Amino acid sequence: MPPLDKRIKKFLKDSIRIAPKISSKGELGELRTGLVSQYPQTRKDAIKKTIQQMTLGKDVSSLFPDVLKNIATIDVEQKKLVYLYVMNYAETHPELCILAVNTFITDAQDPNPLIRCLAIRTMSMIRVEKILEYIETPLRRTLHDDNAYVRKTAVICVAKLFQLNKELCVELGVLEDLVNALDDSNPLVIANATAALIEIHNMDMNAVKLSSLIQSHVSQFLLALNECTEWARITILSTLSEYSAKDSLEAQDIIDRVTAHLQHVNPAVVLATIKVIVRNLPQIEYSSNSMIMKRLSSALVSLMSTPPEMQYVALKNIRIILEKYPELLTKELRIFYIKFTDPLYVKLEKIDILVRLVDPSNLKQCTLLLTELKEYAMEYEPEFVSRAIQALSQLGIKYAQESFVSKVLDILLELLERQDTIKDDCCISLCDLLRHCPENNEMAKQVCAVFNTWSNPEVLLQSDIAKCNFVWLLGQHPNDFSNLEPKINIFIENFVQEEALTQVSLLMTVVRLHSTLTGSALQSVLELATQQTHELDVRDMAMMYWRCLSMPNSEKLINDLCQSKLPMISNTLDKFSPEVLEKLLMELGTISSIYFKPNADRRKGEKYVQNIVKGKHMEELESMAKDEIANKANDDVLLDFDDRNDATNTSTGMLNTSSTLGDLDDLFDFGSSEDTPQINKDGSKTVQGLNSLNLNDNLNTMSTNNKNNNGVSQDLLDLF
Amino acid sequence: MASAVYFCDHNGKPLLSRRYRDDIPLSAIDKFPILLSDLEEQSNLIPPCLNHNGLEYLFIQHNDLYVVAIVTSLSANAAAIFTFLHKLVEVLSDYLKTVEEESIRDNFVIIYELLDEVMDYGIPQITETKMLKQYITQKSFKLVKSAKKKRNATRPPVALTNSVSWRPEGITHKKNEAFLDIVESINMLMTQKGQVLRSEIIGDVKVNSKLSGMPDLKLGINDKGIFSKYLDDDTNIPSASATTSDNNTETDKKPSITSSSATNKKKVNIELEDLKFHQCVRLSKFENEKIITFIPPDGKFDLMNYRLSTTIKPLIWCDVNVQVHSNSRIEIHCKAKAQIKRKSTATNVEILIPVPDDADTPTFKYSHGSLKYVPEKSAILWKIRSFPGGKEYSMSAELGLPSISNNEDGNRTIPKSNAEILKGPVQIKFQIPYFTTSGIQVRYLKINEPKLQYKSYPWVRYITQSGDDYTIRLT
Repeated sequence: MPPLDKRIKKFLKDSIRIAPKISSKGELGELRTGLVSQYPQTRKDAIKKTIQQMTLGKDVSSLFPDVLKNIATIDVEQKKLVYLYVMNYAETHPELCILAVNTFITDAQDPNPLIRCLAIRTMSMIRVEKILEYIETPLRRTLHDDNAYVRKTAVICVAKLFQLNKELCVELGVLEDLVNALDDSNPLVIANATAALIEIHNMDMNAVKLSSLIQSHVSQFLLALNECTEWARITILSTLSEYSAKDSLEAQDIIDRVTAHLQHVNPAVVLATIKVIVRNLPQIEYSSNSMIMKRLSSALVSLMSTPPEMQYVALKNIRIILEKYPELLTKELRIFYIKFTDPLYVKLEKIDILVRLVDPSNLKQCTLLLTELKEYAMEYEPEFVSRAIQALSQLGIKYAQESFVSKVLDILLELLERQDTIKDDCCISLCDLLRHCPENNEMAKQVCAVFNTWSNPEVLLQSDIAKCNFVWLLGQHPNDFSNLEPKINIFIENFVQEEALTQVSLLMTVVRLHSTLTGSALQSVLELATQQTHELDVRDMAMMYWRCLSMPNSEKLINDLCQSKLPMISNTLDKFSPEVLEKLLMELGTISSIYFKPNADRRKGEKYVQNIVKGKHMEELESMAKDEIANKANDDVLLDFDDRNDATNTSTGMLNTSSTLGDLDDLFDFGSSEDTPQINKDGSKTVQGLNSLNLNDNLNTMSTNNKNNNGVSQDLLDLF
Repeated sequence: MASAVYFCDHNGKPLLSRRYRDDIPLSAIDKFPILLSDLEEQSNLIPPCLNHNGLEYLFIQHNDLYVVAIVTSLSANAAAIFTFLHKLVEVLSDYLKTVEEESIRDNFVIIYELLDEVMDYGIPQITETKMLKQYITQKSFKLVKSAKKKRNATRPPVALTNSVSWRPEGITHKKNEAFLDIVESINMLMTQKGQVLRSEIIGDVKVNSKLSGMPDLKLGINDKGIFSKYLDDDTNIPSASATTSDNNTETDKKPSITSSSATNKKKVNIELEDLKFHQCVRLSKFENEKIITFIPPDGKFDLMNYRLSTTIKPLIWCDVNVQVHSNSRIEIHCKAKAQIKRKSTATNVEILIPVPDDADTPTFKYSHGSLKYVPEKSAILWKIRSFPGGKEYSMSAELGLPSISNNEDGNRTIPKSNAEILKGPVQIKFQIPYFTTSGIQVRYLKINEPKLQYKSYPWVRYITQSGDDYTIRLT
């Protein structure tokens, strides 16, 4: 019950009002009567109710003619609502829209700039050809309006018109007007004109010469920058970051002119400024402790006191920038410590940055981080804990000293005792550490001793990678496990249910240990792997082993095959390839920088942009061709790599002499042809994957996991 | 950039939307709740940017709402979109007070109007509430007497597109005053033993300007924030309450303050890091001459903020001791100490100590404040209204635990750590008026209105409070 005075007021209002009221049921019939009522107040109420129904998602398009009757009104609010309605339902009654044209044209000449804007803004949104035919005069007039508010709206309408009807837009010649708007006296108009040009450029690369326009207007942009709204600043700064300075002097000048914006309160302005500076940095001379680097550092740090979504973007971008300028932020490690209130997605990104940021030559810092990560590993969110455990091994391997690694190992073993849910992650991390110190038998003993107590590892471990690692460890240190055979047998029993990595790992382990294992373990694994699996590469591998085993001096051959040492893991942090990194640096702040997928954009956007994509195909073919070439190049690299392995690795050399060479080649051919569509879809990521493959080395890597957990590289691994 | 903006309820169902471009299908938003629930089923990890079928769903959460922007191009500026969404919510909060499901439903007319103005074709336009309120007024639905008058009333202000886009001309106030609040929030992470793992000061200079005409303001602070490690040092307090400065004598005042603070022992000069300014501050002027000058918007706004990351002594310290007698009860002893100078008083101190989810039958003993069990947060909350400097209060609590534990693993003897039983750290909230931790001071605020030439009075107030992350980690 509302208070008494309000009730009295309402009563008075209701009794004075003559105009009939509209109930809130929203029945079409009632609304229709209301819309044509003789009382203006009732009509307005009815319009509001109609819009309300529209908001609720009901189809009120049948009221179109009746709503349209109310378009000629002097009430601004009512006009806005009618326009909104027309915009939403114009397509349902294209023939009736013509009735509104007259009002649009009159309104576009209204003395009130607000009405002029409203008219042109709405008119350019209506996808009805008949309306667009009449747009010329109002658009041209508003483009040259005295009022900057109207002009800044009109320049955007050009882009809208271009999207709806490119031919008409070119025919009318409004693009020239748009270009001229870059020289407008008002900074807001300049910014919107720039934004509109960029939009048009994205739709059709040939419509405007964007890059030369940017080039000739750099000084205007720099001038306008200090005098416009925060959003206009973002537009102008993003445009400036597209421009490459002629020489170091100009680059320095641009940097000097924008640096002040690192102190803008809007984080998006700050990030756009950072982008401009990063773009121009390579051109100027600077040292790692110069002023500009300090300013960049503190600007990046300041992005950590923004809303979490913004922090997320910032963290992803910091990851990119750090790879180019690793000396940034080294003193700011603590800023990235996890806050209790951070959302999970921020926490995970922060751990990533922490491990990348820590200076491996600074023992104190590493130790601090180690205790911090240990705390994280004892938290309760499973994803967070799992990432923290991974980070522990990454930190250990980054610091690279055995005493430190064994400290990490102790922590992991301690964690392992605590909880069942984290066994997978600990197992993977422990095996990584062991692969980092392959000579250290003490550590291996420690780890195996713990694993040895597990009576049923097949159930304790959940993920494919963890099982794969566990089985690999069985093969590497068979003497440290007391009841090796039952353990292996459990895995053999479940062979069919396991995924590819575990299957391969099991196959290799059993072949490796075949002389020590009793019974028919070898026979049954080989049979399972050749008959019961759908994984082609597991089958091929099993076939290869089988043939080797049936050759005359099989013992020696197998021994040589199995005794080859795995390369040491010296880095578990993945890196971008130089080309990808350069592209990502150009795309800071964008959505593609969040996904680390540069340039993938054009192909994706195409699907939804309407009827205006013609110019893009050529460019797309070009980029596809480029990807193809890059792909080939990468294959070459891979094969070269294997050649080198052949030289160093006698066992593979022997393989070459045997008939399996053909199989191997088949495998490679198969692999690369399978890759092609993937690379086309997402060239960059595959390049990254291939590179990480190079890092992780050689065929045998299969038995351990690939740390990057990168989908594509995983696929590739599976393929080999 | 953005193709459409949606306000969705807590399930992700759209309440109100505005399409800015025609390049996405009408049904695009219907996928959003499905995407959300699919993700929720898989894990706790829900990034603020989802991808489906070539569309990007960027969203923020506010109260019971999701505010979503759908974008088609990967080259769209994500930072700008997220910032815009937050700004949009801020603008709506100025209009509707609280932005939530109900207020969105009730005020759809004004929201449509605003959405029309803040963004055009997906490009953010004007988000300055003070200016928007000039021509988008909530009371506009009252019918007007004369049509002509109405038309004049709702013109967009001329200043909108000027370089001073945040202040209309012709503002008059009877009394010309400017209020400055300097608010410092302390974020700190400590271990149970009292070691400070991370600490930072986030400072905010809030202005409430009630000045006529187009005043030009000049703010002087001791920008090398003089920072003392010895907080008990009584001489280093910015003069409390109001500081009135004369327009003409501020240059004379400058040296006197510097000399007085220089007499303090053991001062470490720490420059304020990453200063951030409201858009009204002339950034290039600050860049070149280190002077803060601006034409303020009318009313309240945040003039600047800064951050100082430096090790400071905990202002409110809690010695928490938790003993878990598994399967029977949990004992908590807590000693809180206000480690601030004796003249100051911390107010509204709240100490939130986590307890296990399944704890029950609490019994408390305490000397000051009030203590209660908050089952929905799985914590006990100790409130102390006023906590004078140097005082030490204590409390103890005992809660029962269920005698049967859920996970029956008999052979495991390793007890769970506190971190696993108590989900989360001890959180502390407090306010300390008339005090800044960094030692920042306003030297002068010079107000100059070229046409009106009035006399005006700046008022300055200082306050230190806990930030959103002032916590003690339990291990």
